[in-house]
Amino acid sequence: MVLLALSVGRFPISVAELFSLVGAKLLDGTANAPENADLVLFSIRGPRIVAAFAVGAALAAAGAAYQNLFRNPLVSPDILGVSSGAALGAVLGILMALPIVAIQGLAFIGGLAAVAAIYLIGNSLVSKHGGHDPVLTLVLAGVVIGSLLGSGIALTKYLADPYNQLPAITYWLLGSFASITKKDLAVALPIIVIAALPLIALRWRINLLALPDDEARALGQDVGRLRLIVIVAATLMTAASVAICGIVGWVGLVVPHAVRLLVGAEFSRLLPLAMLIGGTFMLMVDTIGRSIAQIEVPPGVLTAALGTPVFIWLMAATFRRAR
Amino acid sequence: MTLLALDQLSIGYPRREIARDITFGVSAGQAIAILGPNGSGKTTLFRTVLGLLAPRAGRVLLDGKSITTLSAPEIARQIAYVPQNSASFFNFNVLEVVEMARAPHLSWFAQPGAADRTIAAESLSQVGLGEFIEREFSELSGGERQLVMIARALASQAKCLLLDEPTASLDFGNRLLVLDTLVKLKQSGMTILFTTHDPDHARHVCRESQDQTLTISRAGQVSIGATADALQIKALAALYGIDESVFSAHR
Repeated sequence: MVLLALSVGRFPISVAELFSLVGAKLLDGTANAPENADLVLFSIRGPRIVAAFAVGAALAAAGAAYQNLFRNPLVSPDILGVSSGAALGAVLGILMALPIVAIQGLAFIGGLAAVAAIYLIGNSLVSKHGGHDPVLTLVLAGVVIGSLLGSGIALTKYLADPYNQLPAITYWLLGSFASITKKDLAVALPIIVIAALPLIALRWRINLLALPDDEARALGQDVGRLRLIVIVAATLMTAASVAICGIVGWVGLVVPHAVRLLVGAEFSRLLPLAMLIGGTFMLMVDTIGRSIAQIEVPPGVLTAALGTPVFIWLMAATFRRAR
Repeated sequence: MTLLALDQLSIGYPRREIARDITFGVSAGQAIAILGPNGSGKTTLFRTVLGLLAPRAGRVLLDGKSITTLSAPEIARQIAYVPQNSASFFNFNVLEVVEMARAPHLSWFAQPGAADRTIAAESLSQVGLGEFIEREFSELSGGERQLVMIARALASQAKCLLLDEPTASLDFGNRLLVLDTLVKLKQSGMTILFTTHDPDHARHVCRESQDQTLTISRAGQVSIGATADALQIKALAALYGIDESVFSAHR
């Protein structure tokens, strides 16, 4: 998949040329490939492919973790408002005509701030009026804050200049890997990797979050702390992804759900496979998106087009199992 | 040797007391049935004993130590809980469900190893589900799920089991199977506390002289005594607030 993704595109590079280019880079020699091919490979297509894979893996991992945490196989990584927070941050940045780095920074901060607000509101409601389901409270807080953020985005779009800013906002909200540079990757990739570490280290224990709180606590688990770790890790991964490529839906919802049907819910098995398939799927979607037509099809559009039928099929499969 | 002791325990929530002055102790090989109308606080009592809910007053002692001085894994290694409705696990298999009971024995970053798997498999054999290891939990019948949950409690290697209405919503055969399992566990030296709505189930499990029955009325009055005394018609009529004549008609 990686080889294919590296070769195809508006500037095709053959597999032989690919190896020649990589060899030349490693050995400091000259490659047997067209002019500019190494620029395309190492500065444009390379980072883009790494980003697509990393974002797909990150969204799938965050989705898998959240589905366990919310005991619901149909939630996505943005259930706690990370996407709407990030989107509001980014569109505000675009409205203020900030440079791209600042827009990405605002998206990242917006995503984190939205989740923090939802978590704090949910938690304070539960601790003040004990006896309520903390998970359901978080979802409800997420829904109301999410709709508030949504209206903020709508207002920003309304205020935006319709010739320059509005298209930029729309473009960002659809998600894209087209403008990813090595610099973006240098910031986002370490965040994604570092945030994945606690999920990987705690992969067996995260199973306990699928139990009702009382059951998990009766098994000696500090549920509140484990839940917070998972929320922070999944939010960081999602926010870093959204900050560099905008909002790409469906991957975080459909991939972990499908993998769970394949290998079962046990998180130690689910997580690595979901990351691998999520990354590969995103790479495939992006490769198709940039080679299928004259203009690039945004990955968010393709994931939705592919995700919707897959999702309906998954629902049917789930219902069949439940019977 | 008293394994679990409740000392002047008062249970409930910060603004609402549910029952007070609960005092009793249980030892190895002893069973206590807990009866009371809906909403009388049976589950609240369990949550308090498990350390999930702070006592309003009084103490819960495990092997002589107050549970407020013990960590959650320490409590979980001594008392195991079998909830009323086994949750809709995603599609975990039976062994994976039972292995979760090894959590209090493992560090945060550890995975269950071969020894843990053996303990889980043995617990399943103990409840007669040795063949079910690979089966999917969600595909089991209600009675089988209940037995898996009991196996999970056994896999924690706790000496005391708390079961919240273990026979609720089971068919007749499965009820007998679960009750029989409880009797066997008691005879093997486990301490069993279980809530039930059926006096016959209390009689079935708590039929020996060391066993007792505890009743909680809706007004929060708690009494504990020999099962036969606690389940006399007069006592039951008072507990559930119905006329004795209803009982005679029923019989």
